[in-house]
Amino acid sequence: MKHIQNTAINYSELFDDFRHPHSGAVVLFSGEVRDNNKGRAVTHLEYEAYAPMANKMISEILEEAKSRFNLNQAACVHRVGRVEISGCAVVVITGSGHRKEAYDANRYIIDRVKNEVPIWKHEFFADGTSEWGQNCDCVGDDHHHHQHHHHYERAE
Amino acid sequence: MNRKIVCFAGLKKFFGDETSVEVAPEESYANLLEKLGELNPEAKEVLTSCRIAVNEKFVPLDETINDQTTLFLIPPSSGG
Repeated sequence: MKHIQNTAINYSELFDDFRHPHSGAVVLFSGEVRDNNKGRAVTHLEYEAYAPMANKMISEILEEAKSRFNLNQAACVHRVGRVEISGCAVVVITGSGHRKEAYDANRYIIDRVKNEVPIWKHEFFADGTSEWGQNCDCVGDDHHHHQHHHHYERAE
Repeated sequence: MNRKIVCFAGLKKFFGDETSVEVAPEESYANLLEKLGELNPEAKEVLTSCRIAVNEKFVPLDETINDQTTLFLIPPSSGG
């Protein structure tokens, strides 16, 4: 599946394939596994997805971002399965004529992927316990540039 | 009519990989979430933030359950 992968994401390879004659700016975001969360030592993560739906939704988000921000290209791949500390869990690459659009679109894509797409994080801690991630961790982040969609997403 | 419901992530703790619920004609997806809460009261809180997908699309919860055999119960996303 193009946007959901159960093997390591090689983002330098993705980045190399991303050059475009119309692009003056290419932005790459890699979401990586931290060795701690909320004061607890983390050993690794495992991601689960409703893969066919997640793949389709990421594809739609990328298409929307391309037209909204006038991008030349946009890519996003999310891992499923076990990801070790410092491993790449998700990558977003955006390319546009100038840097503003590439940066803005990149943030737009990763925020929507985290908030809306059916992918779930299972955190494993050093004390042997584990927990499924709840909601996104945007609280306290510098997040006021766009509206939050947690309820709207339920399509009620 | 008995409806199969596929569960993901933290929901498996409450319902396993899949469960089934008896649904009467004209019942909505919201009714189905209520029934799941009755099946396992510990799941009630997370069920308030779950969505339901049919054919890989989210459905409005106030809609009547359609004829698709399998429903997918989607807890809040936590990717990234």
